[in-house]
Amino acid sequence: MQIIVSGLIFGCVYALVALGLVLIYKTTEVVNFAHGEMAMFSTFISYVLLTSYGLSYVPAFLLSLLFAAFFGLAVYFVFMKRVQNAPHLNQVVLTLGLFMVVNGVAGLIWGYQQKSYPTAIEGKPFQIGSVFISANEILIIILTVILMLVFFLIFRFTKIGLAMRAASQDTMASELMGIKVTTVFMGTWIFGCVLGGVAGIMTAPLTFLSPNMMSEVLILAFAGAVLGGFVSLPGAIFGGLLVGVFENLISYYISPEMKIVFVFLLIILVLYVRPQGLFGGRKLMKKV
Amino acid sequence: MMGILSNKRLLLSLLVGFTLVYPFLFGQSGYFITLFVMISIYVITAMALNLLVGNGGQMSVGHAGFLTVGGYTVAILTTKVGLPLLVVLPLAGVVTGVIGLIIGLPAVRLKGHFLAVATLGFGISIPQIALNWNSLTGGYSGLAVSRPDWLSNNLSFFYLIILVLVLVTWLIHNILKSSLGRAFVAIRESEVAAQSTGVNLSFYKTVMFMISAFFTGIAGGLYGYWFGYVSPNDFTLATSFLLLAMVVVGGLASIPGAIIGAVIFTILPELTRSFVGLNNIIIGIAVVLAILFLPKGLVSITEFFKKRSQPITVKEGTDRTGGMVKDANI
Amino acid sequence: MLTFKDVTVQFAGLTAVKKLSFEVPEGQIYSIIGPNGAGKTTVFNCISRFYKPVSGSITFIGEDLMKLKPHQVIKRGIARSFQNVELFREMTVLDNLLTGLHPIMKKNILSIALNLPSIKRDERIAREKANEVMEMLNIEHLAYEKVSNLSFGYQKMVDIGRAMMSDPKLILLDEPVAGMNSNETEKISQLILKLKEELNYTVLLIEHDMSLVMEISDLVTVMSFGEKIAHGVPKEVQNNPVVIEAYLGEVEEDAQFV
Repeated sequence: MQIIVSGLIFGCVYALVALGLVLIYKTTEVVNFAHGEMAMFSTFISYVLLTSYGLSYVPAFLLSLLFAAFFGLAVYFVFMKRVQNAPHLNQVVLTLGLFMVVNGVAGLIWGYQQKSYPTAIEGKPFQIGSVFISANEILIIILTVILMLVFFLIFRFTKIGLAMRAASQDTMASELMGIKVTTVFMGTWIFGCVLGGVAGIMTAPLTFLSPNMMSEVLILAFAGAVLGGFVSLPGAIFGGLLVGVFENLISYYISPEMKIVFVFLLIILVLYVRPQGLFGGRKLMKKV
Repeated sequence: MMGILSNKRLLLSLLVGFTLVYPFLFGQSGYFITLFVMISIYVITAMALNLLVGNGGQMSVGHAGFLTVGGYTVAILTTKVGLPLLVVLPLAGVVTGVIGLIIGLPAVRLKGHFLAVATLGFGISIPQIALNWNSLTGGYSGLAVSRPDWLSNNLSFFYLIILVLVLVTWLIHNILKSSLGRAFVAIRESEVAAQSTGVNLSFYKTVMFMISAFFTGIAGGLYGYWFGYVSPNDFTLATSFLLLAMVVVGGLASIPGAIIGAVIFTILPELTRSFVGLNNIIIGIAVVLAILFLPKGLVSITEFFKKRSQPITVKEGTDRTGGMVKDANI
Repeated sequence: MLTFKDVTVQFAGLTAVKKLSFEVPEGQIYSIIGPNGAGKTTVFNCISRFYKPVSGSITFIGEDLMKLKPHQVIKRGIARSFQNVELFREMTVLDNLLTGLHPIMKKNILSIALNLPSIKRDERIAREKANEVMEMLNIEHLAYEKVSNLSFGYQKMVDIGRAMMSDPKLILLDEPVAGMNSNETEKISQLILKLKEELNYTVLLIEHDMSLVMEISDLVTVMSFGEKIAHGVPKEVQNNPVVIEAYLGEVEEDAQFV
């Protein structure tokens, strides 16, 4: 039980990152490999605010999310907007390039040694039944659930959500219908990066703070997103959680080093049976 | 300059000539020969990856895994089985090719990012497996590779690598210009039309993975022989990324493109090696700039020269008969 | 030669083709016409095996087509062109045509990699064939041009040319003159007649251009909303009141149906 619960906590982080990835992919059709690194950078910003400027947790948290939003905005306008119509491979490689730049810049500024990052809420772990869980971990779960609910509501019931859904269906038609695609894409990058930022700040106390802290998280979140079908928001969350739990079970029962191998075996198995992922729509034949 | 660029044969002989005298230009310095060997290894890998990604349109974010498999195959076959190089090197290709086949089978059903994740998983799983399968791979400490006596001299090994490099380039060139190569591009351009011209999608996608893995395995094998040692972290996820960058920045679906990309992205990290952060920044910036300003890759620069030296041919809307077929004799 | 028997195709509950039966006799030009959305292209996609009928049977020279995979269809002697041109855009015209010869090229990886004489010979024969086809279509001067640089009319020609490469017994042409002017249309109609008379192809044609259909077809089937509503030689069909009624619903088509 303890294993499943800790798995769920990591799963929450993966789900948040996966959610950001899927959100960006769904509307702009870009798989953002730099997502984790951008999240890491925002986390470093919050760390600087906390330690060098002595801010308390909540303002530091919010300010760094604001930074994440601007970061997303900048990446969209400076880079991604220019390759909007380029082949997907070019877009992917561009985000890989950004991945390296962001990682390098963070390394230059803050160095590659790991730092410990303060948790949001201090305190001894609670015991619920046979499961130990710390206050911070509970916060992660609550925050994830809230963010997911908020996103679900925005996507389903607001005009912005509708515009986003429309733009993801057909860019040209939406443009003709008066939806400003640029604004929608911009919004998507902002939302996606804020989600990433939250995930980064949640991850930092669990692992350590370092420029490389998000690479594995990103890979597993990516795996979760794919498991969920890559176009489905609930799928991303479910996939993230599933990967978290599965990974923890493997570390416990088989070997912690082999967890990634097994996670990908699971994914390849799932994709072999359902090439569109668990929550992906039915594959449509191209009309000829 | 233009003349040289547009005369393929001259360019080729200049290139080969340069490589032949290369060791003497740098006084047979071990460092420069190693650099050249690394370039050759990456050139082979980039060409193999380009066949898959550029020509075939299939994503792979895990080619480093094939390099590792090739390296370990060489290590195991020389030290544990004791086979000679001329058998081992092709076998490294065959073994890796078989692994590529196994990866290709499920990958055939996947598209785009799904394929990216599957291959990504392969790329990061291989070092983990190498790390944990102690009995076969020597775990963390890796495996030694014994170089045969007739190659103990760095210079002779250098010429062997050039030989392999030229041979592989020739083989890949032949494959790409054949009906096989056309089938790969056909799959990239339109799966529907490819099928109706008789191209069996799953078969050719698997074959693509297999061929690509085969040559990558040979490159991995060369690596093992040159350094005399393989370990789990020789080729990581970062290598896979770098390989993709080589192919895209150099030029997709182009052999010269792969070569240019491989040369640049082997030398660049070497120059900036001593600064870990800076290293990433510079490679990253190079990638970003290339994508933004040269979306068809560096090789498109030479095409630009070629275009200038040739008369411009018929383009859209310039049909001299106003979009009609010129002759009534159909 | 090609027989459809009670073929029904459904997509998510929607019936695209309903109990369709017809038979294409060898050596003739057989046209399928009908208003937009009548299910004509669906018929082609069933023959190409991209769609799977829910019931009925399709046979070609006595062989059950339903057992084949899409890539095997061409080996039985059925090649096709596409409504909106489905070419390999980044390839040259020549390479597009050569790909059309794929089913009969040698594919031994080893001999290809080593560029053995047998492969060279194969390639030379293939090029000769491609030149023949280009000559017939009068596009030799475009051999080394990238398809994406060509006008739509030329792209259509290349699409048909690619289908001709394998010398099929039956060629499926999906709206070969859509988007062409009258001059180009005339040339295509000459070409189609030539396919039948000189190359002995059987032609199955989908077309909106009524004058073309009526001029060159031996037999015509009219479809509307997935069903066959009329069948016969062009003259009969032209005067069939059911057909006229079906077309009246569509103003655009009506204009062409003179």
